[in-house]
Amino acid sequence: MAEVILKNVGKVYEGKNRAVQSVNLEINDKEFVVLVGPSGCGKSTTLRMVAGLEEITEGEIYIDGKLVNDVPPKYRDIAMVFQNYALYPHMTVFENMAFGLKLRKFPKDKINERVNEAAKILSIEPLLNRKPKQLSGGQRQRVAVGRAIVRKPKVFLFDEPLSNLDAKLRVQMRTELARLHHQLETTVVYVTHDQTEAMTLGNRIVVMKDGIVQQVDSPLNLYNNPVNQFVAGFIGSPAMNFIEGKIVNDDGIKFTSEKNTLQIPLDEKVFSKYVNSKITLGIRPEHFSDEDNTVNKIKVTLDVVEQMGNEVFAHFAIDGKPIISRLKPKDTYRIGAEVEISLDKNHFYFFESETGSRIA
Amino acid sequence: MAKVKKYLVLALVIFVAVITFIPFLWMVSASFMPTGASNTYPPKLFPEKFDFSHYQILFSRLNLSRYLLNSIIISLGATFFSLFLNSMGGYAFAKFRFAKKESLFKFLLSSMIIPGQVTMLPVFLLLKNMGLINTYWAIIVPGMASIFGIFLIRQYAFSIPDSMIEAAKMDGATELQIYLKVILPLCKPILVTLGLFTFMGTWNDFLWPLIVMTDSNMYTLPVALANLSSEHVQDTEMLMAGSVITIVPVLIVFLALQKYYIKGIMMGSVKE
Repeated sequence: MAEVILKNVGKVYEGKNRAVQSVNLEINDKEFVVLVGPSGCGKSTTLRMVAGLEEITEGEIYIDGKLVNDVPPKYRDIAMVFQNYALYPHMTVFENMAFGLKLRKFPKDKINERVNEAAKILSIEPLLNRKPKQLSGGQRQRVAVGRAIVRKPKVFLFDEPLSNLDAKLRVQMRTELARLHHQLETTVVYVTHDQTEAMTLGNRIVVMKDGIVQQVDSPLNLYNNPVNQFVAGFIGSPAMNFIEGKIVNDDGIKFTSEKNTLQIPLDEKVFSKYVNSKITLGIRPEHFSDEDNTVNKIKVTLDVVEQMGNEVFAHFAIDGKPIISRLKPKDTYRIGAEVEISLDKNHFYFFESETGSRIA
Repeated sequence: MAKVKKYLVLALVIFVAVITFIPFLWMVSASFMPTGASNTYPPKLFPEKFDFSHYQILFSRLNLSRYLLNSIIISLGATFFSLFLNSMGGYAFAKFRFAKKESLFKFLLSSMIIPGQVTMLPVFLLLKNMGLINTYWAIIVPGMASIFGIFLIRQYAFSIPDSMIEAAKMDGATELQIYLKVILPLCKPILVTLGLFTFMGTWNDFLWPLIVMTDSNMYTLPVALANLSSEHVQDTEMLMAGSVITIVPVLIVFLALQKYYIKGIMMGSVKE
């Protein structure tokens, strides 16, 4: 049970390639923190620095109040689950799970007790005598988790643990990991590129891009109050729609899209200083509606319609750019259908086009 | 048509196998013939009655058991050290990060173009100054580490995922424990292959033991066999018996380890 603190942590590879730039992060005891971002954003490198598998170029990492910069992994009292499971193929499931305990010279009965306890939690008891190659992907993943929990470490690190599983299993394991965290009450740092995993598992989410932390917040806050266009576009599925345009002063302050398809009157106090500057409007798919057709309405032609049963994803174009909307299901939505759709003005996000930073 | 082709190929394979096998069969069979019986005309493929006297003479009068023991000690010793050192070297070249790793490896590889005969004299002088001539070490030491062995292990070790080594580190293993408990077991197929190469190479080697073993008590089987052939040039059956004793141990080792050996050669070619 421990907190993990990163102070100005940075990583530079071979003197030139900067992978991570001054990450500041306080992960509380028993917290489940997810590092999320596209590939190459530095999330795995950050995790590996916490693990001790990568040297820290700059900054300091504390685990349970102790500076661990120069402490080798084995003395950090952490356990890690790898994307490709990294089970030892020549050992049985039992031996895989017992390996760390054996190296730490635990007595035999204690090892048996710990392994059996972990196997019970993960329901892999019948598999203990099998070799990894005799297991399915999901079972291997459980063994990898089991190998981590038998040691009862202060911190669990997960490096994209579910990416090698098929979609259905991934959802199932996700739920199990959430349950496991609740049960074990241990600090978890979890890396993924899948924003759904991040949203569903994390107490807090760290969104990273190009080695820089963009935002650290709870899942709902990230969703509702993204600090920039990157976070807004990364969190949420289907992703937020972005419409390029600018602010004009034409009979009141307005946002107009590039081809003037969209004209939205705006609050003068906030937007008057942005007149004539390029602005991107962000709107989430669920903030389109075909019911309240009085404000900000536009006529669109649907080009793809995905019926999900409980909802429908209707695709159309504004200014020639593809837009996804999430509407209540209706039979009349067909490819080629003309629909009047309104945009919910209470859920507009505006970003400076150049920097991507949020205006309002 | 395809079936005919299949049978043709099968027939050809059997034909070649028989051709290859006959001299071997004749060697074994002649070793059991009474003196002179193998040189009669027309030649006989099988002995009329089994005669074990050549084997008895080889082991009693001609001291063959001593040579057999020499060969076994030297071959096992060379194999053990070669596996130990080459696996360490290959693993380090595959998985460790150190300065000038690539250029060092290229340098080592390039030394493979030097023919073995060229280094015989310098190595002999080296061993002589170390006082190792006429000891088992004279054959074991030069074979302890080979570029070929390091290369073989290195290529194989590349296929071991880094994450497995990292997992062992997280589990609390030291570098030595990682090598002994994770890398070596995973390298088993290629170690068997390399072990087989080294064992057979050392066992069958003639020239080097001839150079460094001047004391007849230290002869290995091939050297002893060569001596035998000059001393007993008329006694074909005796020579054949000596050959059988020389070949059978390697054959047994090869057949016993064949399963792993093929696995080792194939592995690394396709990633699982």
